[in-house]
Amino acid sequence: MRILSDALTFDAWRDQARALLRQGAAPETVSWEAPDRPSLFGLSPPPDAGEGPAPRVPAALVAALRQAAPYRVAGRWNLLYRVLWRGAHGERQAHLPGDRDGSALQRRIKAVRREAHHLHAFLRFQPVADDDPQRPLDLLAWFEPAHDILPWASEHFADRLGRRRWLIATPLDGVWYDGEHSHYHAPCPESWRALAREARRQDDPLWRTYYRSLFNPARLNPTAMQGHMPARFRAHTPEGRDIPGLVADARRGARRHGQAAAVGALPGKALRAPKSPDAPPPPGALK
Amino acid sequence: MDVTRKLAVLADAAKYDASCASSGAPRRGSRGKAGLGNSNGTGICHSYTPDGRCVSLLKILLTNFCLYDCQYCVNRRSSDVPRARFTPEEVARLTLDFYERNYVSGLFLSSGIIRSPDYTMEQLVRVARLLREEHGFRGYIHLKTIPEADPALIDQAARFADRLSVNIELPSERGLRDLAPEKQLGGIRRAMGTIHAGTEADQADKSRSPKRPRYAPGGQSTQMIVGADASSDRLILDTADQLYRRFRLKRVYYSAFSPIPNSPGTVPLRPPPLLREHRLYQADFLLRGYGFQPAELLADNEQLPLDIDPKLAWALRHRDLFPLDLNRAPRELIGRVPGIGLRSAERLVDLRRHRRVRFEDLVRLRCVVAKARPFVVTADHRPRDAGLDSGALRRQLVDAPVQASLWD
Ligand code: SF4
Repeated sequence: MRILSDALTFDAWRDQARALLRQGAAPETVSWEAPDRPSLFGLSPPPDAGEGPAPRVPAALVAALRQAAPYRVAGRWNLLYRVLWRGAHGERQAHLPGDRDGSALQRRIKAVRREAHHLHAFLRFQPVADDDPQRPLDLLAWFEPAHDILPWASEHFADRLGRRRWLIATPLDGVWYDGEHSHYHAPCPESWRALAREARRQDDPLWRTYYRSLFNPARLNPTAMQGHMPARFRAHTPEGRDIPGLVADARRGARRHGQAAAVGALPGKALRAPKSPDAPPPPGALK
Repeated sequence: MDVTRKLAVLADAAKYDASCASSGAPRRGSRGKAGLGNSNGTGICHSYTPDGRCVSLLKILLTNFCLYDCQYCVNRRSSDVPRARFTPEEVARLTLDFYERNYVSGLFLSSGIIRSPDYTMEQLVRVARLLREEHGFRGYIHLKTIPEADPALIDQAARFADRLSVNIELPSERGLRDLAPEKQLGGIRRAMGTIHAGTEADQADKSRSPKRPRYAPGGQSTQMIVGADASSDRLILDTADQLYRRFRLKRVYYSAFSPIPNSPGTVPLRPPPLLREHRLYQADFLLRGYGFQPAELLADNEQLPLDIDPKLAWALRHRDLFPLDLNRAPRELIGRVPGIGLRSAERLVDLRRHRRVRFEDLVRLRCVVAKARPFVVTADHRPRDAGLDSGALRRQLVDAPVQASLWD
């Protein structure tokens, strides 16, 4: 049994896997494991690149492996190697959903995509108030992704935010965009982490006002909300703290109609009918 | 009135519009450019409210002062609600602020009718122009179109907005006359026609400069209120089907009438079951994606059944077509099996080029197997309940869990 360290980028793993294929190392004889949990056998040295033509596999299969690689799970490379091995030995379906391994691989790809989508949807930036030349930064965010998506998935924000300079810190890695280029670091520098954690504690009354008004208590359906937005993200949003109160009020009877409580408390104003459809409206309507 | 208070009033006033889609915009981005915003065609839900609805856009009214008196609407002039009005600059600033913080992917702006339809439409266009031209905003913009406004203003709006919508509100002339006397089906359809014609002309225009913004590239949509008048599901779906065909609408939204404070006697005090709205969305999906006709979904009924979904209801009426052999049937027919979606149908057809389809493939593709089981034959499965009569089968397949989750 050959035990290899699983602390690898996809490209580094692919080089190893290619070498192992050349050597004819069957999937049952190789295992990638966390270096901090040494197994019975101890770690083996990485395989030599070896000579000879690289084994041919469908390009779509390699693309699928790359997409599945960010999925965080112990022994993540073992499934990938098995699929690669089978693909190299003529099983051209090994990465597709109809296959047992392929369907596991596709589930990982889906989870990775979903997590990238979660980043794009649920991350919250906090504007940096001071204009400190030592800290060329406009926006700060803290995020806790479940998979290793940050390096590529964060590129979305460079498309989105123009020349704004932003920083995203996570428990494992971080990325800073300086207005032109991104700088990725793993592990995340402690100073970045400290900045982002501070930003996370900030409140935003304006947004919370919007959120409370947008909710329609007559349509209360917390199950649907929970299904769409996992609790781990809600906890990091400013609106998260309003949810229990909104749900409780709606259950207590605010359900009769759709209006937000705060709006119902303001003085109302019915308007007079215009004299004819073309006549000017009452003066009150214009202010 | 400060901006926070205006926001409380004008978001509350806007929430009865169900549409919050931010999809269909052309691919664009701001990397390395002045300004802000991107879109890649698919929408993003940045949050969910406790009613389970997606928050994708800053959805507000410019003002909830309104000259009209639509009975189902919280902003009708006779309604005793707090009134507020944003300036176009305030809306632009709010949009940019929320966008930068990643709360929303754009703006959905609507308005009560003030002064005149043209004046109101001009104000909406002004906000969009401000965002696009002054602030280099490339996020999503959806503008509500005032049906009676000058077509030239609608065309202007279409150059700034990704999506336009004209709400039909109620499916019949009669319903509008009773509940929205200032609105006319003719005017609403004319506005839809203006947008449709503008889109067609834009697509046909080969000399169009690539720099010139496309005409409403995210298409147009509309909303029908369900349960404010007596309109049947048949009338609603026939109307939706016509609108899809005639004006190529991207979407019809169905909004279960939501009781409003100080409700006038002309509209019901109680909402229709939310499940009715849900069934209409399911039926609408079958119209758009699966080639169903409204008449197929309704047969002799005026209403869709509430206890089972419309596809299952259709299948129970067509037992002669089932059980269907998934190893032989054409893809379109597989897509009509209850519990099997179009994508799964495609996957199954792909799969059977390589080997025979087995029942566990349905499980793996995440089909709703409990629903599909009585209707399919696979290499290893032949339904035992194929002989059951439709009534018994229906009792067995009633949608209890869906109903429960919709209610709480
Ligand atoms: S026109 Fe009718 S639906 Fe629109 S805001 Fe005014 S009253 Fe409401």
